[in-house]
Amino acid sequence: MDDCADISDEALLTQIAAGNRVAFSSLFGRYASKVKGYLIKLGARGAAAEDLAQDVMVSIWRRAASFDPAKAKASTWIYVVARNAWIDKLRRERVELAYRDTLIIDEASDEELPDDAVSRVQTEAQMAEALELLSEEQKQVVRLSFFEDRPHSEIAEHLSLPLGTVKSRLRLALIKLRAHWEQMK
Amino acid sequence: MSGQHHPSADILAAYASGVLEPGFGLVVAAHVDGCAQCRRQVASYEAISGDALCEIDDAAMGDDALSRVMSRLDGAAPEKLAMDRRPFAERLTLKPRKWVAPGVWVAAVETPHARTNRVYVLSVAPGMPTARHEHSGAEFCTVLKGAYRDELGLFRAGDFAATDHDVNHQPVVQGDEACVCLFATEGRLQPQGLLGRLAFAYADV
Ligand SMILES: [Zn+2]
Repeated sequence: MDDCADISDEALLTQIAAGNRVAFSSLFGRYASKVKGYLIKLGARGAAAEDLAQDVMVSIWRRAASFDPAKAKASTWIYVVARNAWIDKLRRERVELAYRDTLIIDEASDEELPDDAVSRVQTEAQMAEALELLSEEQKQVVRLSFFEDRPHSEIAEHLSLPLGTVKSRLRLALIKLRAHWEQMK
Repeated sequence: MSGQHHPSADILAAYASGVLEPGFGLVVAAHVDGCAQCRRQVASYEAISGDALCEIDDAAMGDDALSRVMSRLDGAAPEKLAMDRRPFAERLTLKPRKWVAPGVWVAAVETPHARTNRVYVLSVAPGMPTARHEHSGAEFCTVLKGAYRDELGLFRAGDFAATDHDVNHQPVVQGDEACVCLFATEGRLQPQGLLGRLAFAYADV
């Protein structure tokens, strides 16, 4: 089966980098089932393990030119390609990004170099003034949410308010504070 | 730049085997990128794993696997992929900066990570007090620019720090440039005081 039986893995990768498909099918014979076994060990199941192992073999073809036999053995390099494919798969599956459930202000691009802000000094006491801008109702939800770290649903229950009201109060409070902070950045 | 503070062998081994949570792996990568010593250590763990790959139990590929893969190979010879040689900090994709206090900004890093983790860049100008805070879980940090000092010592660009939940510390920026750090934090940040909490909520980190 292996037309290149007496050729080292490293030499095969070098030939693959030059576009040699025979060398690739030899390397496939040596490594594809190992890669699949490794992915199964990591937790890949059934058809997913097969598909991902095939993807890894395609990546090996595409990236072969970056293999440097002076730096790593072929097995090390192939391991790294397989490991990275697994990490990427996990990343793709994790669509949910880390947002607090308090993400209630819309994005607005506020690019400014940090150096612009360096010269301005404010004290924490001045920061606290910002809080005084809020209505009592807003302060109340702000304190419960951020100081006592209570979930919105619990605050709603505690204050006998609809959840939507709690969220909109927080949102307005943060918009006010934001406007204040923006002035002094 | 090879700093004074490196990830532990355990952390580097976990990084090399790809089992660190994505955000935490990113913070380790920020250090390893600039540290020849840790790169060598990671390479040696990878070599061990490569040897293990050769010993692993085969899992037979499907009958048509080879032909399917061959049909996906691009026509000519594979192209050499260009290496991204920009400094690590410039390769990060950040959400817009949010000023949370004068001289202090936070930007969430766009990387898929668990909902319960926070991954962000924090920049603090010299002379700015940082919020004394506690951790509810593990935290990794690599300094990207500038320097800070805390109870554990001086941390300069490239240095790595891993802290646990029982740490309550207050870093102080050193020198005359802003200190920019990449953080991955498990669980909710617990800055002490209402303003600290508000600031982090406001910054969506
Ligand atoms: Zn190191």
